[in-house]
Amino acid sequence: MRSASKALGLLAAVAFVVAFPRMAPDAFILSVGVVIMSYAVLATSWNFVGGFTGYISLGHAAYSGLGAYATGLLVIETGMNPWLAMLAGGLLVAAFAVPVGIASLRVRGASFVIVSIALVLILLLVFQSWGSFTGGSNGLRVPRPFGTDVLRPEQHERFFYLHAVLLAVALLTWWLIDRSRFGTGLKAIREDEDKAQSLGVPTFQYKLVAFVVSAFFTALGGGMYALWFGFLDPIFQFSILVGSYMVLMSLLGGIRSLFGPVLGAVIVGYAVEYFKAQYGDTQFHLVAMGLLLALVVLFMPDGIIPAASSLLNRFRPQAASIREVTAAELAEQRRSAADAEEREPVTEGARR
Amino acid sequence: MTVTAAAVQPNLATVGLTKSFGGVTAVDGATVTFQHGKVNALIGPNGSGKTTFFNCVTGMIKPDAGTATYRGRDITGKASHRVARTGIGRSFQLCRVFPRMTVMENMLVAVRSTSLRRQLASARDPQELDRARGLLARVGIDHLEHSEARDLSYGQQKLLELAGVLMADPETIMLDEPAGGVNPALIDRIANLVRDLNAEGKTFIVVEHNMDLVMSLSDHVVVFDRGRQICEGPPSVVQNDPRVLEAYLGI
Repeated sequence: MRSASKALGLLAAVAFVVAFPRMAPDAFILSVGVVIMSYAVLATSWNFVGGFTGYISLGHAAYSGLGAYATGLLVIETGMNPWLAMLAGGLLVAAFAVPVGIASLRVRGASFVIVSIALVLILLLVFQSWGSFTGGSNGLRVPRPFGTDVLRPEQHERFFYLHAVLLAVALLTWWLIDRSRFGTGLKAIREDEDKAQSLGVPTFQYKLVAFVVSAFFTALGGGMYALWFGFLDPIFQFSILVGSYMVLMSLLGGIRSLFGPVLGAVIVGYAVEYFKAQYGDTQFHLVAMGLLLALVVLFMPDGIIPAASSLLNRFRPQAASIREVTAAELAEQRRSAADAEEREPVTEGARR
Repeated sequence: MTVTAAAVQPNLATVGLTKSFGGVTAVDGATVTFQHGKVNALIGPNGSGKTTFFNCVTGMIKPDAGTATYRGRDITGKASHRVARTGIGRSFQLCRVFPRMTVMENMLVAVRSTSLRRQLASARDPQELDRARGLLARVGIDHLEHSEARDLSYGQQKLLELAGVLMADPETIMLDEPAGGVNPALIDRIANLVRDLNAEGKTFIVVEHNMDLVMSLSDHVVVFDRGRQICEGPPSVVQNDPRVLEAYLGI
């Protein structure tokens, strides 16, 4: 029953995504939809590191920003097909993430967070200063992949679906890792890294692979954003805020859940756009996000999805057992276990 | 009675193993040989360096000096997953499980996968699941397969930790205080498990403060004081050694 309701929920979500551009009343709402999709891609990509290994990177804007610039510069400098440029950008950033990962994954906890922030700030300075190549603070205009005959709303619609496809690929990859042996090792690292290693998990290599996969998808998200938005400014691309949003969204939805970051992206993305639209002249949206983060940490440290499912379980007395078996089944299991214990001398002998 | 050298095969052996933390030398030139195929005990007063010794030989921390060999292979300073792959499994003093993973997931962490394809294959391989269930049944917690490890009692967590170590199928098992904080019935169960596993060919190296357990369980006892071996031998001999009494009682 549980898997049936899960499948139904997934189907409803897909139907909603497919129908959204038709339901959106105007181009602005549609563009908000694209922004939220972009956030969902970034947060899900972040969650390859955050969710699996528990390493909280506040500097993932480094990879989205690099992906965006790599895509834009490849298109401009080489005239490459924009989609190929996006993919190449993702691969370049993944290659860049290898040495960064080797250096930064040696340290844990707060030290890792600080290293991740430092990288963003360094990149910000580099991209601002190297004006001749990156456009510096004047920004970089990225050519649109679609012709001028494709009007603004239609651009939004296409990019909405393109982001949705990228999100689906990222989610599928996360799900595949989640159920794999590799994923089991990663989750063990999140729980207790030294213990995992003592059981034979090559923790450093595992973390590095997760980190590089995360950087790759984050860069693709950045690249797609660049092609959609058409303009890049280092101050927005390499901002601590963008990285913090990825963390906030994932924590809000739940980093242990496949769809946690997506749910977080919908809520945070909508809230950010709402506050910007309502109080655009002020920095109130930052205050609102700060409050939201505080509330999450205080009251739902595991995120909405785990909190909601435990709440649901409370209203479903029959399914309330975390053991996923009924009380009667459990009693039966205990009885047979007790029987087995009584028989132990015999079975032990037989085993030898 | 002395055991003839030819009859005893060395298991884990260290020469001059040393580890200092700041001004404190926790392990101070420890030269120790544990016997293969036996239940070895490592005892000593609190702070005598037993756990640091464990951590040094299993790669959790790097020793400052000295060497460690396992069955003739040098394992000095090797990372702990490499030590694990040579065939050494270990438990921790304060029992360590993966709290937010289910009991079954805890078991599956230790499954070794060498090729990329196996790494990316589903963790729930039927064969491994069966093996895990068998081991859980053996320690007596198979009915908790779907529970999160953090919901288990301390004793159950200890059993899970032991089963998890067995899942990696190590040749040698190092237990750090298996009876610590455990009720007497469970101590018996753990002792029986150790005996049975030893009869099946597993070597044990056990740090333990429960002297009744040490004396009844072990074939060979090594006594530590101030980071080095002060005495070794069968339990009956060690028990009456004046150096041991001095170390424990300070007389």
